[in-house]
Amino acid sequence: MTNLIDIIVNYGPSLAEAFKLTLELSFISFLLGFLGGIALATLNLLSPKHLKIFIRILIDLIRGTPMTVQLFFIYYALPTFGIKLDPFISALIAMSINSSVYQSEYLRTAINSIPRTQWEAALSLGFTKFSSWIHIVIHQVLRIALPALTNELIYIIKFSSIAYFVTLPELVYVAELIGSKTFAYIEVYMVVAFFYITVAFILSEIMEHIYKKLSVQGLTTSLT
Amino acid sequence: MVDTLLEAIDIHKFFGKQHVLKGISLDVKIGETKVIIGPSGSGKSTFLRCLNLLIKPDRGKIFFEGIDIVSGRVDLHIIRQKIGFVFQQFNLFTHLTALENIMIGLTKVKKLSKQDALRIAKESLLSVGITEDLWNKYPAQLSGGQQQRVAIARAIAMEPRLLLLDEPTSALDPELTVEVLKVLEKLSKNRITMIIVTHELGFAMRVADEVIFMEDGKIVERGSPDKVLLNPEKDRTKIFISKLMELYKMERSRA
Repeated sequence: MTNLIDIIVNYGPSLAEAFKLTLELSFISFLLGFLGGIALATLNLLSPKHLKIFIRILIDLIRGTPMTVQLFFIYYALPTFGIKLDPFISALIAMSINSSVYQSEYLRTAINSIPRTQWEAALSLGFTKFSSWIHIVIHQVLRIALPALTNELIYIIKFSSIAYFVTLPELVYVAELIGSKTFAYIEVYMVVAFFYITVAFILSEIMEHIYKKLSVQGLTTSLT
Repeated sequence: MVDTLLEAIDIHKFFGKQHVLKGISLDVKIGETKVIIGPSGSGKSTFLRCLNLLIKPDRGKIFFEGIDIVSGRVDLHIIRQKIGFVFQQFNLFTHLTALENIMIGLTKVKKLSKQDALRIAKESLLSVGITEDLWNKYPAQLSGGQQQRVAIARAIAMEPRLLLLDEPTSALDPELTVEVLKVLEKLSKNRITMIIVTHELGFAMRVADEVIFMEDGKIVERGSPDKVLLNPEKDRTKIFISKLMELYKMERSRA
């Protein structure tokens, strides 16, 4: 117990600082991933068949390889081609690309759940396919996909710890450092867990609130 | 010829190997109401969807206001703005209120200002008997009859030259059917040009300029409501009409 208090008092600030970096990396990755996901979903929706196949292959390629491998490729292999990126940017790129793919898949599932008749109704009013998507269907899709996207956000915060492998001083990296210095591994990791859990809890509450606020009877909730 | 709004000539459609439409021709003059009847699976809905090109016909021509709209050299989206469509399952946008459902086409497609769109939306809702207390309700909070009237209001708010209605009352119980049919009768009296697929014979008798009986992708018989509904020539039409009449009487006696 005294150990835990010692750790909090002595290393609390540097752990908090590291956690700030974790959150920065995660939020920016999620946001870029969201934009990428929307772009991929839109492309997939509007592009001709052969381009669709190309997008599909790209998605499967990224989804089928571990993010760690992608990160190592960016950080350790790209310099061979003369592209040298710092740890933060490397992690950001790997996580954003990865998240884009996953978010586009969540969006695709939501898109598939929208009845074809909603598109027909929009087209009949004179909307183009693109404007049907932007003005009508995407608003339904985002409402439906919100719980899955929340999941992705929490997931990505936890997954950002892979940046540890490229020496980015995020939470796990700093915790490891403190642990090796003090040997109070249990206490340090308790603090680390507390940080992750607290943020995950707060975020899921916020997203739940947004979900309820945007929820429309007959779309996101059943009719009964 | 001048007042012919739409002319469909020899429309064919295949779904895979299935020949769904086997040469349907139809012309509609401005102000006319045409009623299409026929058993399910006869291709009525497919034909109606061909007319606003939600489904592209495989063969045949469609002239709308004298322009060939199948050839592909026209902007479909501009054509569709002029052709309203009312669906069997209403198809209101589930995430928008009654009012918003009507405004979205006006603001995003017709590019009207919000105030103008709001004014038109209110007017068209009132014209189909949707009162102010329902304007901010979502589709799921409205009855089927109310939803369908909102859907009709959404279509007419765009001021279409032609209104296509695909079994607009088939998903409604008899009581709600009446409120929707009243609205459609009013539109017909106001000389809104319409093509309606329906099984409501009494309604067809009152509003139709021409009744078309379709079966198996072909037009079996066509003519005035008196002729087709009361004195059909073809055996197939007779059988179909007598079955509908039976059903119609049963519903009348229940009501």
